[in-house]
Amino acid sequence: MDPLLLARLQFATTASIHFLFVLVTLGLVTLLVYLQTAWLLTRKPVYERLTRFWGTFYLVNYALGITTGIVMEFQFGLNWSGLSRYVGNVFGAPLAIETLVAFFLESTLLGMWIFGWHRLRRGVHLALLYGVAITAYASAFWILVANSWLQHPVGYEERDGVAHLTDFGALLTNPAFGNAFGHVVSAALTTGGFLMAGIASWQLIRRTRDYEAFRKSLRIGVVTATFGITMAVGFGFAQFGYLGEIQPTKFGNDEDKAAAAADFAARFGGSPTDYLPPAWVGAPLGFMILIAFTLMWVWVFIPFFYRDWIIRLKFPLVLLMIATPLPFAAAIFGWFFRELGRQPWVAYGLLHTEDAVTKTSGAVMLTSFTALLLVLVLADWVLLARVAHRGTADPALGRRPDEPHPEPADRPEPVLGPIGGTSW
Amino acid sequence: MVTIWYGLLGLFFAAYLVLGGYDYGSGLLLARSADRRKVLTAVGPFFLGNEVWLVAALGILFGAFPMLEGELLAGLYPAVAPALAGVLVVTAAVQLRSRAAAGGAVWDRAIIGGSALAALGWGAVLGGLLQGVPLHQDGHVAGVGHILTPFAGASAVTLLTLTALHGAAFLALRLPGGGHARTGRRLVPWALAAVAATTVAGILSSRVREAVQRPAFTLLLLCLLVAALVVAGGALARGRPGVGFAATSVAMAVPVAVAGLSMWPYALVSTVDPAASLTVAEAAASGPTLRLLSWLAVPLIPVLLSFQVMSWWIFRGRIDGRAPVYW
Repeated sequence: MDPLLLARLQFATTASIHFLFVLVTLGLVTLLVYLQTAWLLTRKPVYERLTRFWGTFYLVNYALGITTGIVMEFQFGLNWSGLSRYVGNVFGAPLAIETLVAFFLESTLLGMWIFGWHRLRRGVHLALLYGVAITAYASAFWILVANSWLQHPVGYEERDGVAHLTDFGALLTNPAFGNAFGHVVSAALTTGGFLMAGIASWQLIRRTRDYEAFRKSLRIGVVTATFGITMAVGFGFAQFGYLGEIQPTKFGNDEDKAAAAADFAARFGGSPTDYLPPAWVGAPLGFMILIAFTLMWVWVFIPFFYRDWIIRLKFPLVLLMIATPLPFAAAIFGWFFRELGRQPWVAYGLLHTEDAVTKTSGAVMLTSFTALLLVLVLADWVLLARVAHRGTADPALGRRPDEPHPEPADRPEPVLGPIGGTSW
Repeated sequence: MVTIWYGLLGLFFAAYLVLGGYDYGSGLLLARSADRRKVLTAVGPFFLGNEVWLVAALGILFGAFPMLEGELLAGLYPAVAPALAGVLVVTAAVQLRSRAAAGGAVWDRAIIGGSALAALGWGAVLGGLLQGVPLHQDGHVAGVGHILTPFAGASAVTLLTLTALHGAAFLALRLPGGGHARTGRRLVPWALAAVAATTVAGILSSRVREAVQRPAFTLLLLCLLVAALVVAGGALARGRPGVGFAATSVAMAVPVAVAGLSMWPYALVSTVDPAASLTVAEAAASGPTLRLLSWLAVPLIPVLLSFQVMSWWIFRGRIDGRAPVYW
């Protein structure tokens, strides 16, 4: 097979999968900060149970977040060595900053947070989680600076075919960056909110043993989702204002599109049709907007908080469960539009995708890599489902060291009670 | 400034091999441990903070040496790929092992196999650097078969034995009474034999002889490696695991120095066209990028280090019944 196509397929697969984990990491860490802060301030045991339960869920998700993230980073060098060769001087800087400023600290702090329960003072332990959240957002910030530069290269000059950095500030004020960052962060909050509400709904429908905790999760989830989706839609449409200007072949009107394609053809050779993205690239955008408008209806559930009608009526719970995967789908559609819409460029108007791919063909290795990753991802999703299913009863995270701890590996799975076996 | 960044790159990768090395070493020793949960608890709080050194090293490689990044990773693809696969499997398996109700044994085997792959792979990468790659003037590396040499194989096995020894020294320190000191002591002769075999393979290989620019200096580093191994063996035998761990840490860092400094001023030597060899200065990013990164690194690196030290300090000491269990 064609190495270019394989490399693109692999990048699309790993980037999409990585982003699913990123959404949950960013969304949930924000909610965890809220939960643990509430625990510190109110000392209510329900907040401790919630922090430990959602913390466990967050960590199982994070495991694959790092794993897929490492693959992404290596992929640039392994499959796209042209990228580092021609634009590495500019594109590499925000990526290097991300690993040092954000990821390095995020993981170090998270390790201390996991093992620091009952060993550190409560305030210090909470401060670690704030650190994890801040560095997670910083991570998203720098990755989007890097991605936005590929969308709309700024602050550089070209000498002998190689881009050199001239103005780093321009990377931060890049029009392709600001609203996109807001959009991604609100999409993560939306996903986190719907995920929390969806899992709480599942627990409430099967008559959970911890009604108090999941009632609270449901409310926090619905409020976060309402806020998140509103912001995501706002930041999304805000990008329409200038997208046609900075990327005419992606989002210009027909005249601008043709003019830009003809201009590219004149400057780089080939025919103008070579410089247009696939014709169906508007479809993922359409699907994303459709899902967003559907999810906007979530605010309707807020009045049903009154006297817990949202739980007693039951159908809101069912709808929220059905809605859980939708934000993930919308996010992937959004990236498809952003990334496919700039083809055939890897750096818009500067570097062709086909000039960035590594010449060495390693087709077999590429596919086996993706297969390995998929196995790990599937295993992780099974474990996430299991964590969600078990509920708040005694997660290993934050257990007192003097409590007897059962050995999970050697212990038979406890038989789950029949649905409705316990009363609310 | 380029030299400083090259040094930082080496420092971060060496720190990864020292810190991540005992993760993988402990992972390898899971195969012979009666109480696997205890071994993972010993690694516990440090695990997430160890692997970040690899990611940071890669970030520095991309940011400060973009020319080297593509050629090195693509050129050594057959060695980088198994290393990366091992890293991924260990990363996922350690974190997920104890979240699974059943199948703990499968995850354990994944940790053991992943650790072995990672150690072998990084060993082959370092060996591959020392024997050069068929790099052409236009920056592309021809073929993948060039890495399959006895020297690269010997390097891979050497790093595997060093890693296992390093893991044993770490566990001897954190989990006294687990019999790990004895395991470590027995591994020392194997490690010495592997180092000797790699040295001989290197001397016999014309590619390595041509790539190494200052053999005397390389020999000096190898003497340091042997001395570290001897000290480690002695310390483990005398019940001084702290000294033993320090010595094996040196032993893990020396191979990075060998691969990074033997070829100076080259960062990547071409086996087909001497003019295509990449010097450290050519591989570096242009001035403005390096200046930007340097301004950032001056305040940042002390912060990074202090958080790592804070983690080591909080969770220092031996593992007892009160240690938090999560993995």
